[in-house]
Amino acid sequence: MDQFLQHCLNALVLGGTYALLGIGLTLIFGIMRVVNFTHGELYSFGAYMMFMFVMLLHLDFFLSLVLAMLLGIALGAAIEFLLLRKLRGADIDTTMLVMIGAWIAMQNFEQLVWSGVAKSIKTPFPSSPLVIGALSVSWNRIFVLVVALGLILCTYALVNRTRLGRAMRATFQDSDTAALMGVDIGTIYMSTFALGSGLAAAAGALLGPIFVVTPTMGDLASLKAFAIVILGGLGNIVGATIGGFILAFIEELGAGYISSGYRDAMGFLLIIVILLARPTGLFSRKERIG
Amino acid sequence: MQSSLKTLIAAAGLALVASAASAQDSVKVGVSEPLTGAFAASGNYVAQGAQLAAEAINKSGGVLGKKIELIIEDNKSNPTEAVDTAERLIVKDKVPVLMGAWSSTLTLAVMPKLEEYKVPMLVETSSSGKITTSGNPYIFRISPTSEMEATAFAPIAKTLGIKKANFLVTNNDFGKGSMQEFTKMLKGQGIDIGAQETMEPAATDLSAQLAKIKASGGDTLFVTTDVAQLTLILKQAKDQQIAMRVITTGGSVAPDQLIEQAGDAANGSYHLVFFTPWFPDAVKNPDVAQKFTAAWKEKNYNTGGLTEGFRGWDGIYTIAAAINDAGKPDAEAIREAFWKVKVKGVNGDIAFIKQGPAGKESGQNVPSVYLVKIEGGKVVKQ
Amino acid sequence: MKRLGTLAGLLFLFSIPLWLGNFYLLHVLIITGIFIIAAMSLNLLLGYTGQLSLGHAAFFGIGAYVSSLASLGFAVHLLPDWLVTLDPQPVWLGMACAIVITGLCGFAIGKVAFKVRGAYFVIVTISFAEVVRLVALNWDELTQGPMALNNIPPLSVVIPGLVDITFVGKPANYYLVLVFAILTYAIIARLVRSRAGRAMIALKENEALAASVGIDVTKYLVLAAVVSAAAAGAAGALYAHYVRIVDPNVFLFIYTVTMVIMVVAGGKGTLAGPVVGGVIFGLLPEGLRSLAIAPEVQWIVYGVLMILVVYLLPQGIVPALRAYRQRSRSLEPQDAPGANASARQAMP
Repeated sequence: MDQFLQHCLNALVLGGTYALLGIGLTLIFGIMRVVNFTHGELYSFGAYMMFMFVMLLHLDFFLSLVLAMLLGIALGAAIEFLLLRKLRGADIDTTMLVMIGAWIAMQNFEQLVWSGVAKSIKTPFPSSPLVIGALSVSWNRIFVLVVALGLILCTYALVNRTRLGRAMRATFQDSDTAALMGVDIGTIYMSTFALGSGLAAAAGALLGPIFVVTPTMGDLASLKAFAIVILGGLGNIVGATIGGFILAFIEELGAGYISSGYRDAMGFLLIIVILLARPTGLFSRKERIG
Repeated sequence: MQSSLKTLIAAAGLALVASAASAQDSVKVGVSEPLTGAFAASGNYVAQGAQLAAEAINKSGGVLGKKIELIIEDNKSNPTEAVDTAERLIVKDKVPVLMGAWSSTLTLAVMPKLEEYKVPMLVETSSSGKITTSGNPYIFRISPTSEMEATAFAPIAKTLGIKKANFLVTNNDFGKGSMQEFTKMLKGQGIDIGAQETMEPAATDLSAQLAKIKASGGDTLFVTTDVAQLTLILKQAKDQQIAMRVITTGGSVAPDQLIEQAGDAANGSYHLVFFTPWFPDAVKNPDVAQKFTAAWKEKNYNTGGLTEGFRGWDGIYTIAAAINDAGKPDAEAIREAFWKVKVKGVNGDIAFIKQGPAGKESGQNVPSVYLVKIEGGKVVKQ
Repeated sequence: MKRLGTLAGLLFLFSIPLWLGNFYLLHVLIITGIFIIAAMSLNLLLGYTGQLSLGHAAFFGIGAYVSSLASLGFAVHLLPDWLVTLDPQPVWLGMACAIVITGLCGFAIGKVAFKVRGAYFVIVTISFAEVVRLVALNWDELTQGPMALNNIPPLSVVIPGLVDITFVGKPANYYLVLVFAILTYAIIARLVRSRAGRAMIALKENEALAASVGIDVTKYLVLAAVVSAAAAGAAGALYAHYVRIVDPNVFLFIYTVTMVIMVVAGGKGTLAGPVVGGVIFGLLPEGLRSLAIAPEVQWIVYGVLMILVVYLLPQGIVPALRAYRQRSRSLEPQDAPGANASARQAMP
């Protein structure tokens, strides 16, 4: 029983960051119809920025987190402006190839700059964990969960409660009509991509200090984010949030009780099963955003 | 401005001449190490140690009157890439001798190529028994086998009073070989074996394995992996309140780096190491160890890497000795010469004994093994 | 005239081991040839039916593993007390198994492609490759996991009294790969020029229209997927028996990406495209390496080139060259042969 609860606790923490990754990707996928292969690179970018600020420039841990996320937003905006803007209206395969090219270039650039040796980041949290009965969880992980949930709520509010969010939703429904109604599609695309990228960078900056930072850490993150998006339905923020937690629970319990080696396979098996059975995702009757 | 330009051109010219000279008057040694991927941290230390040795050798006259030139290739912690590096080093660069390839799996992958091209390889880190017992006469290993480690550890197991032991090892020949030998040794002493968990070399979240280990009980956890994964294990074990004595085998642990990166999560852990830079008097050849440590510090390399970097140093010195004995940079002559070398290394005196099926024996060194403990952020002798 | 050119080209290819003393370059050519076979097979799906299958490394890897396992033999527990064993089989039989089994996988993917479309199909194929990689990594008893399948025997063909060849060494493997590549090219050329091929192209251009004029869409899609997967499987088997080691990284996405770059840069939907792209991207790494450029930089160059190709030559190199040739021909009809020659020279 203790083991089961411990697994659930671990899954809860992991689920928060999965949800962050998933939300960012589902917005981009839903609104822009771009299969974003650079998502995982933004994730590792966030982690490396965290490493740079905390370990090399010795900045405050929390300030570094904010800076890493802001830089992620800036990098996302730059990618949209430089690579995707010219391809608007191009078919999905074309943008996908461009994003794959960008992904490869970015990952190897990271490896060139930071070398292939894993980096670890120091945290200001107490090293003894929070103990509840037979369970225990580190303060760092609790912090990650709280921040992740906060960012998810903020994103939800942004999409549902602001003018920008309304324009985003309108673009998702029908970009031509939205454009006719005076929505600046260029701005919407750039903000969407920047926001999604910022969330991915935040996820990386949060998880970097818990695990280690490597140039290839984004590969699996990116594929898992795809799984979450598909699980939750295109452009569905609530779906992606729940999807993130579901994936984390399946992985953690699968690893605990079936085989730890197949932990990462769970997400992909899930994608295959869902797409064959219910191609629009678990939570959507029809595709929607918000 | 102009003079600095002139100096630059002169320097470039000199570099050109130097490189042309080195192309003719150098003895090439191929090195295949994991510089990227899961074992990158360890592989880079070994490569740094190897470079230091080559520089030191060249400063004191080189080999056969020529400079020793290392060609270091990255095997990316992947067996197929390791084979590719061997192919490139042997066929393209025509090196007469190799050093590599860190992990047992990588070394085992390269071994058929050595037989195919008849080029000897000095194995500096790998511990799997299979390497020297499979009948490959081109293998010369200076690192201890898992069996040697287990034997060295046997008396300590009694003093520590281990009742039930768990294992968490990396899922490759290195981890599994070690788990096998230690399980055999512990069972021989009547010690219970609990969970035997494996992890992928690149895995970073080990909470599921640790939860299982916690549930299985026991007082000791044997861990076999490289330093990067070990840091994560110590941190995550502490998060889950696992109150077991952690003992690492394989010698790729870099206790200083653990103290730095895992903080007080590293306290109370035991480590089997093959070089003890903390206790210069305890090593067999203090002058050699001192020379190596000084060279390492001069370059401002991470002191945590000393316990890994010495393998590269010892490896290149052993190869240099073999080349000198051989009298020519020829693969077969060097292979013959390996059998006769006697080198004063950082770890101890290096010489090869025969292992494996008769007629096709591999060379195996009998190195020193030490147990150290981390206490209060310091390494102490056991 | 064209026949003569082809013949000269083939003679040149067959003569390479006779005058190329550098075995390392021959090694590079062998690996390039294997990847060209894989790229040609991907082109059938990507270029001719328009299905962006990004799990192609899975077929390549399954081919490599099936053939290796069949020729090495195995003993594996499917259930705790159900042991399945296979004694080592001749390598040619292993390769045949590889082709059949990857063909069956292709059949399944073809069926799925019809059900799951666009971006979703891409993600299903990536997931498929990733699941296969994780199985190869974790099913130690069968695949040796991260320890890799080692000491894989080389291909040997024995017909008592007639032939007894073992493909070890560079020249033998070079000819083996060359023959396989020519065979694959011929089969694909046959297929796309047949009724089935025209149906596939019609289907890519406008599926609804194709279906309405009575083209059985599923049938041709599945046919293309089967042939494509089987050819990739054959390439994988060749690879395994040449390098004589396989590990789970053979399924990594980066290998699929390499094949995609070759096809897209060369020109998807053209027969020569994957060959041209394959030669460029197969030899480029060695070229960059000899300039002492770090492998990371090499991959950055790959990534940037991929983006540039999509922007500047969206159709790929071969169609661009063809268009250039046609243009110069229509401008100066008298000088057609000369323009032709210069265009051909421009081809790498």
